[in-house]
Amino acid sequence: MDGIHDLGGMHGFGRVHLETSEPVFHAEWERRMFGLMMAAFATGIFNVDEFRHAIECMAPAEYLTTSYYEHWLHSLEQVMLEKGEIDRAELEAAWSRAAGEAV
Amino acid sequence: MAGENHTDPPSDVTLRVKALETLLIEKGLVEADTLDAIVDLYEHNIGPQNGARVVARAWRDPDYKKRLLSDATAAIAELGFAGSQGEDMVVVENTPEVHNLLVCTLCSCYPWPVLGLPPVWYKAAPYRARAVSEPRAVLAEFGVVIGEDVEVRVWDSTAELRYMVLPERPSGTDNLNEEQLAALVSRDAMIGTALLKAG
Amino acid sequence: MATLTADKVVSAFTTSGSLRIDSDVVAKFKVGDCVVVRIIHAAGHTRLPRYLRGMHGIVRMDHGVFSLPDSMAHGQGERPQHVYSVRFSASELWGVDASKRDSVHVDLWDDYLDPA
Repeated sequence: MDGIHDLGGMHGFGRVHLETSEPVFHAEWERRMFGLMMAAFATGIFNVDEFRHAIECMAPAEYLTTSYYEHWLHSLEQVMLEKGEIDRAELEAAWSRAAGEAV
Repeated sequence: MAGENHTDPPSDVTLRVKALETLLIEKGLVEADTLDAIVDLYEHNIGPQNGARVVARAWRDPDYKKRLLSDATAAIAELGFAGSQGEDMVVVENTPEVHNLLVCTLCSCYPWPVLGLPPVWYKAAPYRARAVSEPRAVLAEFGVVIGEDVEVRVWDSTAELRYMVLPERPSGTDNLNEEQLAALVSRDAMIGTALLKAG
Repeated sequence: MATLTADKVVSAFTTSGSLRIDSDVVAKFKVGDCVVVRIIHAAGHTRLPRYLRGMHGIVRMDHGVFSLPDSMAHGQGERPQHVYSVRFSASELWGVDASKRDSVHVDLWDDYLDPA
């Protein structure tokens, strides 16, 4: 698709931001997200092309203003829903539970 | 589904990840211990020190270098490195005539078995947009200036081939052993965003 | 479908084999051929970057046979075909003000290319 992810040659993004001594993961949630995606991928429920396409289908503004592992989160939610492994009601219930436990 | 009133996801990404993890564990699709093991593997064990050993071996052993340039996957596996996001490797050599630079404009494809997980800058828009169209300007931001008589060759990893740059061996390193040579090799040099010095 | 257990993690991620498909599908191109990138504007998944549409390049490597992402992403099968490294000069891609010496090498499937 002719999507926002297709960045080669585009202007306007400015300088490369370099971080000295960058850690592999910047937050615990990134660790969990990386492990979760890789473990889910190992089930064979979805392939890498489906995973990438789900990221490409993010709303352009959201794609550009969210971080890399947030893209992974969006995609894993989408592919799991599309494959019927989870449904929307279950996901929303899980959100409520997580929010409740966090208080 | 028409007419459904969906709740928005929580704005706290930590909660959203936790919710998805809990759900997938409850469904029996993933296990918590598995996530821990995966994170440990990529945070502590797989990293650019692997690629540095490949480079050092190639610098010291001309026959290994030949194998590396003709069948990189097999040569890299000789040193014990293989697997996800490196199943089909291609190594490209920097020479006085050619300077190689790696990018994935469409996402973030990167040779995990030899370099570990990519840095944020490699996956972000500025590098992905500009590496193919103005590589020399991008290299200058890394402090790298390539002479006008050298070709800058950018590799856009659009397929499942994963690339690694074999940097030029710095002069003044003839007396160094493989371990000492490997210590000179930075991750950025194996992407093409750094040149190496004898240290 | 098997759940990956923690004790299998290291071998699962460090021993995977080539993604090449064992198929004798004929390559449409060979190293040295001049090719032109097709103008394709499909709404589905592709690995053909926009900046290459209509551009002329030269086949520099034949990587062998792989599945096609455009079909794999949509449950339409592997459609195995050759993937090539194609070289594009910077001036072809970015115009007369671009470097006359630099190049971009991109991996492209048979379906993305026409003979030039």
